[in-house]
Amino acid sequence: MVMKRIVILLLAICAASSALLLSGCWNRRELNDLGIMMGTAIDKEAGGYRVSAQVVDPAEVAVKGAASGRSPVTMYTATGPTVFEAIRKMTETSPRKIYAGHIRVLILGEALAREGIAQALDLLSRDSEPRTDFYLMVARGTTAQNVLKILTPLEKIPANKLFFSLNASNEVWAPTTTFTMDDFVNQLVTEGENPVLTGVQLVGNQRQGESNRNVQEVEPSAHLVVRGLALFRRDKLVGWLNEEESIGYNILMNHVKSTVGHVACPDGGKVVTEVLRNRTKRKARLANGRPVIDVHVTTVADVAEVECKIDLNNPAMIRQLERQFAQEAQRLMDTTVDAVQHRFRVDALGFGHAIYMAHPRVWKKWRGDWQNVLPLVQVRYHIHFHLRRTATVNNSFVGQTKE
Amino acid sequence: MPSAQTAKVTAAADPIDPAASRNLDAIRTALGGSQDLIAKEMTLPGDLRTALVYIDGLSDNRLIHSTIVEPMQRLKQLPEWPGAAPGTDPLKLLREDVLSAGDIRPLSDMQNLYDGLLSGNVILLLDGCREALRIGIPYWEDRSVSEPISQPVIRGPMEAFTENIRTNTALIRRKIKDPRLWLESMQIGTVTKTNVGIMYVQGLAPDKVTAEVRRRLSAIRIDGVLEGGNIEEFIQDRTQTPFATVFNSERPDAIAAGLLEGRVAILVDGTPFVLLVPALFTQFFQSAEDYAQRADIGSLLRILRFLCLFIALLAPAFYVAITTFHQEMLPTSLLINLAAQREGVPFPAFIEALMMEITYEILREAGVRMPRPVGQAISIVGTLVIGQAAVEAGIVSAAMVIIVSITAISSFVIPNVSMSISVRMIRFLLMGLAASFGLYGIMIGILTLVLHLCSLHSFGVPYMSPIAPFELDEQKDTLFRIAMPRMRGRPRALAPGNVKRQRRAKR
Repeated sequence: MVMKRIVILLLAICAASSALLLSGCWNRRELNDLGIMMGTAIDKEAGGYRVSAQVVDPAEVAVKGAASGRSPVTMYTATGPTVFEAIRKMTETSPRKIYAGHIRVLILGEALAREGIAQALDLLSRDSEPRTDFYLMVARGTTAQNVLKILTPLEKIPANKLFFSLNASNEVWAPTTTFTMDDFVNQLVTEGENPVLTGVQLVGNQRQGESNRNVQEVEPSAHLVVRGLALFRRDKLVGWLNEEESIGYNILMNHVKSTVGHVACPDGGKVVTEVLRNRTKRKARLANGRPVIDVHVTTVADVAEVECKIDLNNPAMIRQLERQFAQEAQRLMDTTVDAVQHRFRVDALGFGHAIYMAHPRVWKKWRGDWQNVLPLVQVRYHIHFHLRRTATVNNSFVGQTKE
Repeated sequence: MPSAQTAKVTAAADPIDPAASRNLDAIRTALGGSQDLIAKEMTLPGDLRTALVYIDGLSDNRLIHSTIVEPMQRLKQLPEWPGAAPGTDPLKLLREDVLSAGDIRPLSDMQNLYDGLLSGNVILLLDGCREALRIGIPYWEDRSVSEPISQPVIRGPMEAFTENIRTNTALIRRKIKDPRLWLESMQIGTVTKTNVGIMYVQGLAPDKVTAEVRRRLSAIRIDGVLEGGNIEEFIQDRTQTPFATVFNSERPDAIAAGLLEGRVAILVDGTPFVLLVPALFTQFFQSAEDYAQRADIGSLLRILRFLCLFIALLAPAFYVAITTFHQEMLPTSLLINLAAQREGVPFPAFIEALMMEITYEILREAGVRMPRPVGQAISIVGTLVIGQAAVEAGIVSAAMVIIVSITAISSFVIPNVSMSISVRMIRFLLMGLAASFGLYGIMIGILTLVLHLCSLHSFGVPYMSPIAPFELDEQKDTLFRIAMPRMRGRPRALAPGNVKRQRRAKR
């Protein structure tokens, strides 16, 4: 009886340990076997793609690491008929398998963007390894690979620098906004909306930017700047919005969290406001069979800077400033709407989607011919601009300077 | 255990011989002429030969002299002692008139004589009598009541049980002065004949439980019981479990609190640890401190302890699983830092964790086992080995040292050693699962653990109650410790039908 029990116990132990040992931990990977890819660049190449991976050298970046003067990141590049093949091919040069779990930015070359990017993106949205919350950008006027090569000060990892400057800018500066992989795919498949992506530009000397010297100088020779929004028709880039148009786009799309803007004083100089909160709601309706979009903007702001002699203690003055700022906001939105309706003729603002939500049947009628209907959309603005405080002083000393 | 003696002692179950000298010889032979057997022969008036037999060191020498020897010698100065006359019962006279000791009982067979002799009684043999007297004046060197070593508190009683069962029962009686606190005694161990006491509050402890305790204790057939742990393994409900289903404590207040909840205490002579049944899982996370301090901090400490349970159980497993399977779960900068630390570490994370955990277990065991003066060396070596040196030598990563340390410290937060031992063992299993299957393995491990815990019983009470089966009423003393005035009832699972504990306070 006891023997039998022992035999059963031994068998159970054998079974359990073989389950543990024979499984071989099939997808186990140690941290030091990973080539952690932080940024990816995809460019057009004859007959396929050129994929570049920015891989971190952890010892150079870690808190305790003694800076040995090596570059904090290294780049592996491979070309292949498809993105995945190119990535796997990188192991020809890389000692470690490229790990995409922590990818922060994906940069697409402008040339590729103009030809269409959807096919190139399927892998990164399908694969189980990467998270889909990394940012997508379009390299403006250069290849994506060149952008990823630039070393950046403060943030040792250039991909991180792009990620964080987008983040910071998105919070406090209206022209910038972020698009993750998820956002882009959503825009792409949404009825009546064309995708938009952030642009990134290389300013300065490319060659010097690639060397470690770039981060040793007070003012680096090359900078990466987040600039402009790229408009797409389906997955093909059609053009860029400039800074003002980008502001208008972000207000219309309710992307603005906080920003700064100015209007002119009555007698010269400028008054600057800091927007604390902004909320935009849009609703589509039909007026005499024509599509109308009502845009309701509610903004709460402070007075941030006064360059002229105006009486901020006078409520009428505040009312007047509020009106001026509202007009300015409307002007910005109008330039965007104009660019979208007439210059590019792509529905980057999602008007079509708004109509689809409000009147699906009518949308069905227009869908096939939306490019021609889009310029007919009327936009009505209802702006409520509230100036709440004047910060720590009332009237500016600028108007009171004495001899 | 000298088992040869067993045969001799049991063979000696014959009546006492009228000739004192023959009895004396029998005793000497039975004990193999042991040096600590003292036999003092005396002659009483009327040429009555008598002998005092006792074991040196088990009885109080001064009391023997003042309560037995002196009164008997004084008889000689009497002109005439009635006991000397024929036809009287001198033994009865001695017992009632002469000896001033308190606990005197007659004996009629050798078996009882040996039992009495060896538990510290003085045996008085008298020529011509078929009986002997057993005079109870046991006294031996004893540790005094001291502070609890394994379960200390900041605020609360500072006394602990000792090795003496009598002292221990007295410590409990001092706390519960009620005639319903009953003590049943029995001897367990065919050779050691260890005194074992069952203590409970009659009417609170369910009869079913007391009967079960009695049944399980009396079913034990073993030659020796030297510690409560020997008994614990006999009376627990299930052997194949890493969890203790019998609670133990060296604190009289903890045991008294248990008795008041309707539990049964089992005291074993020779150990300062008293057993308490039925034991529940949550009980192992309750410290006496919880009730001495205010309710709010008591509750917070409880929650902290359950948190520490999970850290002690899971921290290394989680570390191994996340760094080898689920790197995407880490914040990027943490991942890079960890990866940098692991540059050049030769072993997989699991082996690394295993090495560090085993090193720690070695140090811990050495620290407990070491002679106290050398203890300091252990801590120095330990800090150097586990800490700095291992990291600098590139054998382990610094993060692993942190994980092992937090695990070690967390396991000490669990107030009862039995539970932290269980956690220590299970930790290694979970680490193995984590290394093989990642978080998936950990989840399987936890599920198995929960199923196992829910299947356990302690003397008929579900081990996980009142969590499973869930009793909303009883949550007042599990994860939280609510204020005393609101703790109106006893745990239903322990004292059914006698739940009410206090009346609403008058104001």
